[in-house]
Parts: sequence; C-alpha cells; structure tokens
Amino acid sequence: MSDLRITIGAFFVLVGAIVGATGLVADYHAPLESANVNLYGGAAMLIFGAVMLWLGRRKTGGHAS
Amino acid sequence: MRLAPVDYLILALYFVFVLCIGWIVKRRVSTSEDFLTSGRSVPVWITSLAFIAANLGAQEVIGMCASGAKYGIMTAHFYWIGAVPAMLFVGVFMMPFYYGSRARSVPEYLKLRFDEKTRALNAVTFAVMTVFSSGISMYALGLLFELVLHWSFTASVLLSAAIVLVYTFLGGLTSAIYNEVLQFFLIVLGFAPLAILAVLKAGGWSGMAARLPQVMTHTWKYAGHASENPMGVQVFGLVAGLGFVLSFGYWCTDFLVVQRAMAAESMSAARRTPLIAAFPKMVMPFVVILPGVAAVALSHMALGYSIPLKPGGGGPDYDQTLTTLMAQFYPSGMLGLGLTALMASFMSGMAGNVTAFNTVWTYDLYQGHIRKNAPDSHYLWVGRVTTIAGVAFSIGTAYLATHFNNIMDFLQLVFGFVNAPLFATFLLGMFWKRATGHGAFTGLLAGTAAAAATHGLTVAENKGGWLGAVWHTFPSTMAQNFWIAICAFSVCLIATALVSLISTPRVESELQNLVYGLTRIPHEDVPWYKRPAPLALIVIAALVLLNVLFW
Repeated sequence: MSDLRITIGAFFVLVGAIVGATGLVADYHAPLESANVNLYGGAAMLIFGAVMLWLGRRKTGGHAS
Repeated sequence: MRLAPVDYLILALYFVFVLCIGWIVKRRVSTSEDFLTSGRSVPVWITSLAFIAANLGAQEVIGMCASGAKYGIMTAHFYWIGAVPAMLFVGVFMMPFYYGSRARSVPEYLKLRFDEKTRALNAVTFAVMTVFSSGISMYALGLLFELVLHWSFTASVLLSAAIVLVYTFLGGLTSAIYNEVLQFFLIVLGFAPLAILAVLKAGGWSGMAARLPQVMTHTWKYAGHASENPMGVQVFGLVAGLGFVLSFGYWCTDFLVVQRAMAAESMSAARRTPLIAAFPKMVMPFVVILPGVAAVALSHMALGYSIPLKPGGGGPDYDQTLTTLMAQFYPSGMLGLGLTALMASFMSGMAGNVTAFNTVWTYDLYQGHIRKNAPDSHYLWVGRVTTIAGVAFSIGTAYLATHFNNIMDFLQLVFGFVNAPLFATFLLGMFWKRATGHGAFTGLLAGTAAAAATHGLTVAENKGGWLGAVWHTFPSTMAQNFWIAICAFSVCLIATALVSLISTPRVESELQNLVYGLTRIPHEDVPWYKRPAPLALIVIAALVLLNVLFW
C-alpha cells in the first residue's frame, strides 16, 4: 500500500478545498460567530493535507509502508 | 441543527476514504496473524496515534466535554494523572514482557505467565466488556444524532456499524489501526477549531476565569477536600484511585490499547508507542474538555446561549454541550466536518473494541478451548466471522446503557469491577517471579468480589448499597468508584501474594521473557531520543509544567 500519509493528505486536501470553497462562495454564518470559519478552517486543513502529502511523497522512494 | 448539502458531501467523502483504506489493506491479509495482530509490522508513529485514537471513542469525546462543563478543568485529571503516568509505565516497564513473550494478546500473556484458567477468566471478562463498551458508544451516538439531527436512531447506528464492519472485515487490525490514525486527525482538526472559537468568544482564559467559579479553572487547588470541588473527591482518592489503580488497570492491561503497541514493528517501537502517544494525549484536554468549560462561561454572558436542560427537569443535560456548541460556532461546511469527526470518534472506538474482541475470541477462547489444532486459514475465517458477531453483539447491547446519567461514571464503574484487580495481577506477574497461577486466579476473583462488595456496602448519589447495610456514604459516585478500585486492587494484591506463597512456584526456566529478572531486555543501538527513559523524562517534565500552569 502507498504510504498512509498520502491517503490522509489526500483526504484533508479534498475536505479543505470543499470547506474553503464553501467559505468563498456561500455566506453561511453560525449564530455566535461572525468570522468566516469555513474559509480559515478550510485553509488550515488544506495546508495540513499538503504537508502530509509532501511527507508521504518524500519517503515513498522504494520504501512502502 | 440544519445541515446543508456540503455537510453530507464531507460525511460521504469520509465514508469513501474509510472503506478505501479497508480495501487497500485487504491485499496484505493472508494469515490469521495478519488479520488479528497486523503481523507485527506497523510503523511506530501509526501505532502511537492508534494507541490513543482507539480509546478516543464518541462517549469519550462527548463525555469529556460534558464533564468539562460539569466539573471544569479538573476533568483534565482524567488525562494528566489518569492516563499519562500509566502510559509511561506500560512503555518503559511492561512492554518488554508483553512484546518479548511473543504473546498475541494480553490474555495469552496471562496463559504463558500463569495458567489456562487465569487466561480464560480474563479473556471472557474482557470479551464481554469490549462488546459492552462498543454498545454504550453506539447508544450514545444514536441518541445524539436523533436528538440533534433528527436522524433515526436505528438508521445512524446501523449505517455506522455497517461501515465499521466492512473495513474491519476486510483488513482486520491493520485496517482498524490505519483508520484510527485518519480518525485521530479528523477528531483533532474537527474539534480544535471549536475549542479556539469558544474560548476566544468567552474572552480567552482570563475571561473564562473571571466568569466562572474558581473551582472550574483549577485542577489541584480545590482537591484537598471532597466538599470543596464539584467532583466530590479528595486528593488521596484521586491520586490512588484514578491516577494509580484505575488508570494503570486500563492503560497497562486493557488489550484494546495494548494491542496497538503489540502490533508495532520492533520491541523498541512497541515500547515507544505509548510514550509518543503521551504527547498528544497530554494536550487532548484542550481539544475535548476546554470547549465544555468555555460553554459554561458563554452561558453566563448575555449571548442567548445556554446549556440545554434535560427534558422533564433534573438540571442541565451536559452531554449536549458539544453539539450545541458546534451549532453555535460552526457554519455549514465546518459543521459537516465536526459531525464527521464525531462519527469518526465513534467508529474508532467501535473498531478498536471489535478488533480486540476478535483477537481474544479467536486466539484465547476459540483456539484455546474450542478447536486447538486447526490450520491457520481456519482461524483467519473464524476471525472474520467473529467481526460480524462482534458488531452484532454491540448493536444488541446498545440498549442496555440507559440507566446512568453520565456515561463516564458508568464506564468507571465497569472498570472498577473488572480492571482494577487486574493491574495487581500483572504487577505481581511481571515483577515477582514467585507469583503463581493459582494465586493470580484467586486474586482476580477476590478483587472483583471486593469491588462488587464495596459498591454494595457504600452509597453515593443513591447508587450502590444493594447489600443492605451501608458502611459509608461518599460525596459523589466518582469518589465511590475510585475507592472501589482501591479496594479491589488491594484485595487482589494480598490474595494473589498469599495464595502464591502456599502454592508451588513454576521453575525459572519456564518464566524467561515473562518476568522481570529473568528477561534480557535487548539493548538497541538507537539515538537517545528513541530510547524509552529519555522520552519518558521529557513527558514527565511537560506533564509537571501543565499541572503547575493549571494548578
């Protein structure tokens, strides 16, 4: 199997993109929060996912775990 | 709480990934050991995260947030003294015997160290308990989703159980462990933003401290007397009951968590598993407990937020704290993520129980007692069938968990009866070569009986006292549970030692790799930061710092 980090990275890149895009296009607001939670949350997940992908790719040269 | 299509999309995406992991891992399963013990080949960072994720079930997340709202930051004791020291102990001192003995499960270690009857007793109680925990977790989730989202109880329980069943059936323990890592990150990324938003809204830590009674923002300051803190415990019961007996009983002997470390690729990795896991474990209170504390502060500010009341009176329903906070702070999008994280926590807890149940049933009960010398392919088949049975039993027992108002208290009660005496057995088994099988067996029975008797003879919040006479009244069920554990442990320790001294000891050659003093711990040539002792010292330093900061 390819590195688990790649699977996890792919998941969070996708979810981060979906949540972040929601923040950009839709004007959803929670009752107690005025900030664009979707945009920041999405961005954070996107970054986390990208780091996991990078970590996974860096190691996958011949070493599969 | 209203969900938008984007929320369902995230939930669906998560399900797809979970099933994919199961499908990919399936190719690596060819023997029963691959299926039930991961063939001892999992990298250490994965076993470490799985080690805490398996314990981080939905009842843990919801229950800890609830306890945060009920008791304040004092709840962090369940992590800081109620988990971390025991995790260090199992990594530094106990793992050499678990891993070195080549046992495939904790009950199997008991068979190697003591005898068949001790193993059978432990295996049966453990199997029942895992199914029970899984059922409680399921019940909590179904009830919550029914309440918050108006989903049908049966539908949400069956859907999530079906997904857990598919991926554990396909890839066994490896699949469960790999998914637990994904679930761990999802839980952290799904709940940490909630903690940040809630605390910021409540005016930061100082704003919370100004709005809350002092006992809610201190962990030790009011632990001197039971009457001064909302948990109704005092420092000896807390440290000896929770910090020593209960937590060591759970983290050092519960196969659910120990199994994750035993799946590691080497002895060194197995020992480091709980030590590395201690770092994220230490900061989990900020993710799961802090939102609960902040919720109480928020309900004191004129924001229109308050913790919902129980239907039909009886005070606040703390178990709803987490979901109401999510509804207040997460817009659709993040809300979907938060709910997915809740679903993930439920699944990790349940898969953990199912895989542990699997191994114990297949190796300790089926292979040990029902059919001894079948080809390996037969046990692989039994393991797969047991997965289905385990999930089915969990669904069945989900309806039993109705009589207790706080899920945490109930779990403590179960641990008190079954797990508390266990640690005494392992302590003597691993560190005293004179301890015998008869001693261990008698000790376990006596300890469990002592636990039940303590519960039967004392009363707390109208619980217990079923033996007629009431010898003592505790200020809270939590204090009662801690003392049940202390009594069970002491009785088991004494009974095991006494019976061991009058029964025949085993010859020393049979005890190699099982007992301290007769086991050579391999010296591995690894840099200092990979050695157990320095890692443990770093953890202790961080732990002391946290306790001082939140004194």
